[in-house]
Amino acid sequence: MLETRDLTKSFGAMQVTRGVSLRLERGERRVILGPNGAGKTTLFNLLAGELAPDSGAVLLAGEDITALPVARRARRGLSRSYQKNTLFDGLSVEENLGLAAAVHCGQGMRLWGDSLARPEVREIVAEVAEMVQLVPHLHARVSEVSYGVRRQLEVGVALATRPSVLLMDEPTSGVGPEMARGFHRLLADLPRSLTLLIIEHDMDLAFDVADTITVLNYGEVVFDGLPEAARGSRLLQEIYMGDWSDA
Amino acid sequence: MFRHTFLRYAVLALLAAAALLRALTAGYFGLEILAEILILAILVLALDMVAGFGGMVSLCHGALMGLGAYAYGVLCVHAGLAPLPALAGAIALTGAVAWAIGAICARAHGIFFIMATLAFGQMAYSWVFETPLLGGDDGLGGIPRPDLSLLGIDLSDSRSFVLFCLAATALAYGAAVLVLRSGLGRSLGGVMHNEQRMRALGLTVWRVKADVFGLSGMLAGLAGALAAMQVMYISPGLLAWTTSGEALVVVILGGLGTLVGPLVGAAAFVTLKHGLSGVTSHWHLVVGLILIAVVMSRANGLFGWLEARWGARLDRRLADATREDTPREATNDA
Repeated sequence: MLETRDLTKSFGAMQVTRGVSLRLERGERRVILGPNGAGKTTLFNLLAGELAPDSGAVLLAGEDITALPVARRARRGLSRSYQKNTLFDGLSVEENLGLAAAVHCGQGMRLWGDSLARPEVREIVAEVAEMVQLVPHLHARVSEVSYGVRRQLEVGVALATRPSVLLMDEPTSGVGPEMARGFHRLLADLPRSLTLLIIEHDMDLAFDVADTITVLNYGEVVFDGLPEAARGSRLLQEIYMGDWSDA
Repeated sequence: MFRHTFLRYAVLALLAAAALLRALTAGYFGLEILAEILILAILVLALDMVAGFGGMVSLCHGALMGLGAYAYGVLCVHAGLAPLPALAGAIALTGAVAWAIGAICARAHGIFFIMATLAFGQMAYSWVFETPLLGGDDGLGGIPRPDLSLLGIDLSDSRSFVLFCLAATALAYGAAVLVLRSGLGRSLGGVMHNEQRMRALGLTVWRVKADVFGLSGMLAGLAGALAAMQVMYISPGLLAWTTSGEALVVVILGGLGTLVGPLVGAAAFVTLKHGLSGVTSHWHLVVGLILIAVVMSRANGLFGWLEARWGARLDRRLADATREDTPREATNDA
């Protein structure tokens, strides 16, 4: 479904992504682990089109999308959520979801009538609100809801574009352990047709949600395999300087 | 996205009633001032659409207004078109030029956007100034007003012309509201607040900016054509960057991103200008001091101040009153 071939990116003399090759099957849930500065977010930016690689290719459903800009990748089904919330604070939760759904339904350029009143947009908003448990908060302004709800909405906005591949940059960043567990359940309940690539620091999430785990270190893939294999990997324990046996 | 509040409706109704009363009772000079207010109101509505709701602070809206005026003048005087088709042509042409400017400047932000639009404005000014067909620095005269005699309206009469301008202002306001409340308007709001996210959702951001800039240009073109009709003469000075600067001052004075505020600003600015210019030739100084006071007060212009002070309170009272009335009605029905 999503593939990278020998993806490389440097900023000046610093090579932040070194020949990264990944292959995600349809419906796969893969978690990317790695210490700070390992190049995880840069990899996401390369996948989403926010950065252009120095070399290598990105393929979506077998088609080379390396040269496509961000918006065209999104329209082909590649959506992302951000580590820091990128929501529209002055709007309600419903309007945030509606804005994304309207773009997906081709209503974002519509000159006559409110795009959020369109049945197809309302249908997506209702469906996504249910999916990410935002129904009780739909009419609240983003500035009025808790941080945890905003994280859910961050994912909801990305889902409202009905993607086939969703890139999630640390979805549980900044939330407490209780809320993080709720988030794990939420991610686990997402439709299996959706391919998920998640950057995560939370090991529990990684082992709860992931079908496969990829570990980056200094921009290189140093591990690519099943969660069970990751638990026993000596190399990964050294990278993280800890023991995961209790995770 | 633009929303009407109780206060916005109230101020709109007040402005409309005052303008109508003045249009029906004022003498010649009063009517000329009112026409000036109404034409400026259309221009600042156009500017508020892009600056207040899209973050695109334009310094070429004066040039767009001038372009509308010249297009109307040339189509009537040189091409021999009747005034109404010429008016439609002028609006369409200005819209097309504005769309192209919006598309080219869409990638620029902040000061760079302002400078790019200023450059387009100055290019248009220089071109008009140097073009003999447009009268060069002598300007273009003999511009007719539309013939509405079939409807029993004589637009050569100042009062009828002001009422025509009032109707045009109402139409322009309605059009601006329609655009801002549409899918395009919602997308524009999203782009202003987070362009990167809107792009990541799949939106073609430059198209949104260009389309709204084009629609805003159509309103500026309408303002220009009305300005040409009012004095029946156009000079290149209309395209000078100071016209755009003045429009921006009016938008800030009234309240950026409120639509109603710029209307208040236009009325206040023109009234102040004519009131003060009779007393002192340094009226710009007084307007400047008022603008500094408005900006330093951190209120969003005169209307923004009013809205911050009374807007939320009025809406809350209205909501409370509605809630109190609902069970009573239900009981009565029962």
